[in-house]
Amino acid sequence: MKEVKKIFENARAEGRVFVLENEAKDIMRSYDIPIPPYATASTADEAVEKAKQIGLPVVLKILSKDILHKSDAGGVKINLKTEDDVRKAFEEIMQNAKKYGEEKGIDVDLSRGVFISDFADMGTEVIIGVTKDPQFGHALMFGLGGIFVEILKDVTFRLIPLTENDAREMIREIKAAKILDGIRGEKPRDTDALVDIIMKVSKMVNENPEIIELDCNPTFVYEQGKGALVVDARIIISE
Amino acid sequence: MSEGYYVSGVKTEGLDLFFNAKSVAIYGASVTPNSVGQAIVQNFIKPMYEGKVYAVNPKYRQVLGVPCYPSMQEIPGEVDMVVVAVPARIAPRVMQDVAEKGTKAVIVVSGGFSETGPKGAELEDEIVEIAKKHGMRIIGPNCVGVIDTHSHVDTFFLPEYRCNRPKPSNVANISLVSQSGAFAAAIADWTSELGLGISKIISLGNKCDVDDDDLLHYLAHDDTTQVICYYTEGYDPGGGRSFFETAKKVTSKKPVIVVKSGRGERARAAASSHTGSLAGSDKVADAAYKQAGIIRADNFEHMFDMAKALSMQPPARGDRVLIVTNGGGLGVMTTDALEAVGLAVPPPPPELEERLRESLPGYCAIHNPIDVVGDANASRYDIALKEALQGDYYDIVVAGVLLQTPSLGMDVTNVVANHQRQSKKPFIVVSMGGSFTTKAGEIMQLMGIPTYATGEKASVAAWALARYGEIKFGREFKRTAGRTNHK
Repeated sequence: MKEVKKIFENARAEGRVFVLENEAKDIMRSYDIPIPPYATASTADEAVEKAKQIGLPVVLKILSKDILHKSDAGGVKINLKTEDDVRKAFEEIMQNAKKYGEEKGIDVDLSRGVFISDFADMGTEVIIGVTKDPQFGHALMFGLGGIFVEILKDVTFRLIPLTENDAREMIREIKAAKILDGIRGEKPRDTDALVDIIMKVSKMVNENPEIIELDCNPTFVYEQGKGALVVDARIIISE
Repeated sequence: MSEGYYVSGVKTEGLDLFFNAKSVAIYGASVTPNSVGQAIVQNFIKPMYEGKVYAVNPKYRQVLGVPCYPSMQEIPGEVDMVVVAVPARIAPRVMQDVAEKGTKAVIVVSGGFSETGPKGAELEDEIVEIAKKHGMRIIGPNCVGVIDTHSHVDTFFLPEYRCNRPKPSNVANISLVSQSGAFAAAIADWTSELGLGISKIISLGNKCDVDDDDLLHYLAHDDTTQVICYYTEGYDPGGGRSFFETAKKVTSKKPVIVVKSGRGERARAAASSHTGSLAGSDKVADAAYKQAGIIRADNFEHMFDMAKALSMQPPARGDRVLIVTNGGGLGVMTTDALEAVGLAVPPPPPELEERLRESLPGYCAIHNPIDVVGDANASRYDIALKEALQGDYYDIVVAGVLLQTPSLGMDVTNVVANHQRQSKKPFIVVSMGGSFTTKAGEIMQLMGIPTYATGEKASVAAWALARYGEIKFGREFKRTAGRTNHK
C-alpha cells in the first residue's frame, strides 16, 4: 500500500497522470497479480545483463515520463532472442525516442532507459480494465482481446468491489465465452486464474481509488492449470 | 445542489409526511381557472382526501371555498405538508415562512431553479439551506409531486378529466418514482387504464433533497408497495453508486425495476483509455443494476408487464415453463417468445407423459405446450394442471386461454387460480381477444393471476419472474436453459 502511494506521489510530482510500466508492474506485483519477470536498464550493457537474468527472448520498451504511447515513438522491440538483439534494440529505442522528441518539440527524458520483460508465450488474449464512471464510480471490465474487444465490443462490466461470483459471471456472460472452454481441440483455458486476477485488480483499485483508468491489455490466459499473465498494464491516476 | 449531500447517505426521516399528511397548505393557491395553484387545491377538496386543507396567498380570502391566508403564520392549526407553487424568485422567502410555521414536508412544484442555469441553482441552494437548518424535507423543485392512492394526497396539477388517477388494488400494488414529471403524469393516467394497482407515484424533479435512494429505502419498508419502479435519466455524481448500495439491500426483499434513458455518449468520448472508451455510463449502469439485483426494463410497456407479474406472483425457483393452452397457434407463438427471452420449455418426462396420455383425450397434444384443444372445458385444464404439477417438473406455468370457444366456461379462472394457490408456483395467463376476453382477464387479475393479451407480453413477465427468482434465491435457482438473455 505504502509503496503504491509513493509511486502515485512520484508520478504527480513529475506532472504525470500515468505511471511508468515498471511502476505499474511494481503495483501489480504488490497485489500478487501474475506478471512476466521484468527489470529496468539505463544502459545497453545493463540491458543485456538483465535480459540474461530474465532469460531470452525478451521485450524492450522505452521508459520515460514524456512518452505514454510507446509504440508511436518506436519505443517497443519484441522477441529479442540474442544478446546482440538486445543491444541493438536498446540503441534503436534510444535513437527513436530522441527523434520522436525532436519531431514533437519536446526534450524527452531518456535517463530511465528501458523496461525489459520476459517475452511471454502467446496465450488466449483477454482484457481486464477499470474505468471510473462519474455516476457509479469504479467499474471493472472483462472481455476477450483482439477483434472481440476492438470490433465486436464483446465486454462486460461490474462495479468494484466484486464478489467472486461476479467475476465468474463476467467470464461466462461475454458472447464469446465458449472460446475459453477451448475450441478446435484446444484444452479449456484457466478461468480460475482469470477470476483470481479479476479479484486482485478489484482489491487493488478498491484500496487505491486514485486509479481512474486501468488496462491489463493484453492479459494472456493459458490452458487449465497453467495460469494467466498480465503482459501489459497501463494505469492512469487522478490529478 | 450542494456537493456532498449524497455522501451523508440515505435519509428517510420525515418522508412519511409526504404520503400521509393530515393537513396540507397550498402556497400560491389561485382563483384563476386552469392554473397550477388552483388545480392543486381542487385535488385536496375532493371528498376522498380526509385531511385539512389551507390555501396561502395574500391576494385572496378563499380559494374554491378553502380559507386562504396571507402567510403560514395565520393558519390556525398545524400543517403537515406544504405544496409550493410560487415563482422561483420568491421561493426562499416562502420557505422561510414555512420553516417558521414548523412544517417539515415541502413539495416545490415550481420550475425556474437549477434546471435553468446558475441563477436558478442559487435559489435552489437557498431553499435547501433553509430546509437543512430546520430539519425539513423537500421534494422537487420542478416536479409534479406525489400521488398516494390510499391517503389521497395528490399534488399532480393535471386536471382529472385529462389525467386519470390510478387506483390501489386489493391484490397487490406498485409504486413508481419518476425523475420526469411529465412521465409521472402520463403513467398515472396510463396505469389507471391498465388496471394495475398503484400505491404511490412520486415525481422527483431536480432532486434537491429527497432523491432516488431515499425513496428506495422508504418504499422498501412500505407495506402497501409490492414492487418498486423507477424512471430515471441519470444520477448526480456519485448518486448512481449510492443508489446501487441501497438497492443491494432492498432487492432480495422487494423487486425493483428501472427504466433508464440517456446513453452517456459524452462521458464516453472524454475517456482516454481503452476500457473507458468502451464503458460509457450506460453499460456501467447496466452492470450496476444487474449486480444490485435491479431488473432493468427496456421501456414502460415491459416495466408494467413485469411489475404486474412480480406484484401478484411469487418469484420462480427455476426457468422451466409449462404451457397449457386450448389454442395450438397461441402455444407455438408463446413457446417461441419464451425461448427468445432465454427460458426453457422442456417436454414432460416419460412418467408425466404417460399420466397425461391416460387422463386426457387422445387428440390432445401432451408435449409442452400441452394443447387441450379447442373443445376443452375448464376441467380439462384442471386435469392437465393437476398431473403436470404433481412432481417438480416445472417452475412457471403459462395458461393460454382463448375464450372465443363456446365450450370453455368462466370457471377456468377458478381452476387456474386454484392450481396457483396449491402449487405456490408463479402463474401467468395469456388471453387474446376482445371485450369478453378483457372482462375475463380483469376477473382473473382480481383473483391474483396476471393476465396478458399476447404471448410476447407474457414472456416478458415470465422472464421477470425467473430473473427475480435468480436474484432472490441465488445459487438455489435452477437454470436449465443456457443463459438469461435480455428481453
